[in-house]
Amino acid sequence: MKYNRTEIDNNVGFTSITDPKFKTAHISVRFITELSEETASANVIATDVLTYSTKSLPALSLLNEKLSSLYGANLASYSVKKGDSQILGINVSYIVNRYAIDGEDIEAEMTGLLIESIFCPNATDGKFDEESFSITKKELLDRIESEINNKRGYALARATETAFRGEPAEVMSYGTRKTAENVTAESAYSAYMNLLKTAPVEITYVAPEENPTVLEMFSKSFASVYRNSGKINFSTPSPLKPEVITESEEFDVRQCKMVMAFKYDCPDKYAVKMLNTIWGETPVSKLFLNVREKMSLCYYCATRVNKYKKTIFVDIGVERNNIEKAKAEILHQLDEIRSGNITDDEITSAVLSLDNALTSVGDTPSSYSGWYFDCLCDGDIITPEECFGKYKAVTKEDIINAGKSLTLDSVYIMYDKEEQK
Amino acid sequence: MNKQIITSSKTGDNCIYVRHSSGLDIYICEMEGFSTVEALFGTKYGSINTMFKMRDDKEYTTVPEGIAHFLEHKLFENEDCDVFELYAKTGASGNAYTSFDRTCYLFSCSKNYQESLKILLDFVQKPYFTKANVDKEQGIIGQEIQMTNDNPEWRVFFNMLRCMYHNHPVKIDIAGTIESIAQIDADLLYKCYNTFYNLNNMVLSIAGNVKADEVLAICDEYLKPCEDKGLETVFPEEPETIVQSEIHEKQPVGTPIFHIGYKCTPCDEKERLIQNIAMCIASSIITDVSSDMYNRLLKEGVLNSTFSGEIFCGDGYFSVIFAGESNDPVKVRDSIVAEVKNISENGIPEKTFQRIKKSMYGAMIRQLNNVEAVASMMLGANMSGIGPYDTIDMISGMTSDMVLEYMRRELREDRLVLSVVEGTEND
Repeated sequence: MKYNRTEIDNNVGFTSITDPKFKTAHISVRFITELSEETASANVIATDVLTYSTKSLPALSLLNEKLSSLYGANLASYSVKKGDSQILGINVSYIVNRYAIDGEDIEAEMTGLLIESIFCPNATDGKFDEESFSITKKELLDRIESEINNKRGYALARATETAFRGEPAEVMSYGTRKTAENVTAESAYSAYMNLLKTAPVEITYVAPEENPTVLEMFSKSFASVYRNSGKINFSTPSPLKPEVITESEEFDVRQCKMVMAFKYDCPDKYAVKMLNTIWGETPVSKLFLNVREKMSLCYYCATRVNKYKKTIFVDIGVERNNIEKAKAEILHQLDEIRSGNITDDEITSAVLSLDNALTSVGDTPSSYSGWYFDCLCDGDIITPEECFGKYKAVTKEDIINAGKSLTLDSVYIMYDKEEQK
Repeated sequence: MNKQIITSSKTGDNCIYVRHSSGLDIYICEMEGFSTVEALFGTKYGSINTMFKMRDDKEYTTVPEGIAHFLEHKLFENEDCDVFELYAKTGASGNAYTSFDRTCYLFSCSKNYQESLKILLDFVQKPYFTKANVDKEQGIIGQEIQMTNDNPEWRVFFNMLRCMYHNHPVKIDIAGTIESIAQIDADLLYKCYNTFYNLNNMVLSIAGNVKADEVLAICDEYLKPCEDKGLETVFPEEPETIVQSEIHEKQPVGTPIFHIGYKCTPCDEKERLIQNIAMCIASSIITDVSSDMYNRLLKEGVLNSTFSGEIFCGDGYFSVIFAGESNDPVKVRDSIVAEVKNISENGIPEKTFQRIKKSMYGAMIRQLNNVEAVASMMLGANMSGIGPYDTIDMISGMTSDMVLEYMRRELREDRLVLSVVEGTEND
């Protein structure tokens, strides 16, 4: 594998990763901006419109014909949040030229298409093409409406809102129904122009062979845009609430969901990740073995870290009658860690489990892309092997201290209606 | 032991197949440059296998719904420890799943794959069921059932199957119900285990950073020879007709979600591959973003990008399903019916047909680029009675006339079911 990163313009990074084993290539262009309720939806709709039509392929049907004739190549957009930032990505992925039955230059076509979608959007007179815009806006509104379809995801989203209330991170990565409804073809285009001119941009190109043309094409295109962009700070720890707050909603569901948010101030992110793994990330974690296997209270009970906000979420699907019992056991297992009741086997298995995840980073183009982008967000570019070394160096004391730095901040509960009646 | 190299005529990819002396079918794909290993050890036993017998049995045994899935959960417990504890020592990520026609135990890892493979082969061949450990599992699976009952995608799919199939057990929930799993005990689990976990009914598929000789040496050491006892599974007689054409359920959801399914003629394994590819192309044409129908419904706001097609088939069942979100699912159904009629009468434009085929070919190449997908592909092909690369090799030979013939024969309006899950009044 070969890794190389260069700055091709004001705050525009280009990372190239080549690995000969791949049969596909992946280019990702990420715009990074501050997350805010006012702009989140407009940014999402704007970047979505870019993947619906372009100047030369001004309708979704035409764009789709082009993509499917290039062996089902993919052009897609997405939005995620990291800390208090919103990441808006546009990706292409495609099979490499040697698999083209009819000898097409798929890479040149797809790089050209991606650059056209970014630099020649289907817009005139300061607004996006009305048809592409309306379809995209409806897509976003449907997505917001459908949050409730995934009950576990919905509960986690509400718990995130509760934990980060008053901070930019309380906003969903795509905004709210109200902000989405207010977006117009003009405001979306204006939001996009703002992203193009001011947002830090990270481009990642993963392919089996080097192709300097891709870098040249992006350099040339960005050179035509006047940019004035500042740096983004991803690490924005969330302050602990003075008192634990509990929020709840009722739905017509059969299983209740509970999400507990714990804030921490431990500066050692590797120790926190080890703590998280031992507490509730694997099938040999304390929560899996006790809350699920020993007490039979649930099918899932798991932890996840938001390192940028210094928060750990614990979530469980549980019967109403068992909520308090589950909560007590989750806290009890944290106390076990704080008291040093951690075996050498638990530490070894956590290290091995993390190593397993780290080693798999190089097995898909998209995971390579994600890894190095995350490193950039952390301000620390290291290889998965170097990261493994840092986990291995974490001691039992470090894990205990990480556990001691956790404090319960807030709780979200989705109740079932039937039971309460 | 005879190692057979199977090669794709289209891509040049290859894998190794061995019929092991124990009775097990083994597929190994050495993927140069990849770091991870994915291994699946599966049995052709899923939720639909509720009635069976061995060659020497006089009568068929009928078992409670959800028992294959229950067995999958219980196999993770050894006499002395939990299997996850063993994987924790190698760093592998272990898991399992039960579907309609198979149960698979799997691990993915990046180091110590040989040790993890030994664990996998060992525990799947060593059942340990007791009253206490069966009772304990009722609570966990009970919560899993409740969780899936709250999943509208799951509900809309099973409601459709219940409207489609009169008797075939494909209509029952994979995990069963709280009531049906209460009937499961250790004896029944042993009965099912001894019937279906015979190596002659199983497959091992392993891909990634592996060496075939190392895998086979472990297999020689760990696989216990099995006598083929002549397993027979039967399914109740299933009429060609559907049970009812429409079903609606209220659940907390956003935009209503729908499944629109054509009940098609079930077929044997060989015919199934051709019908599967033909119907896959047909459904891709209908859900093609460039088609007039999809475009019109998209512009009218009746459909969004969640609209997709799927082929769902196995022993005794075959259906073509269109799924998505819409505020007017009836209009979507009627539009699909009209589009099928239109294509059946006017044919498939050759340009569209070739484009869809190219797209399917690209999807197959992408699959061969992924360790997990390759392991799943080899196992799935064996369980469907075909070779690992048969699908990719057969796509190129498919003609638009063949697709049309299947469409005209199988996509019948009187075999169509609409299933909708829509929001409750308070949403």
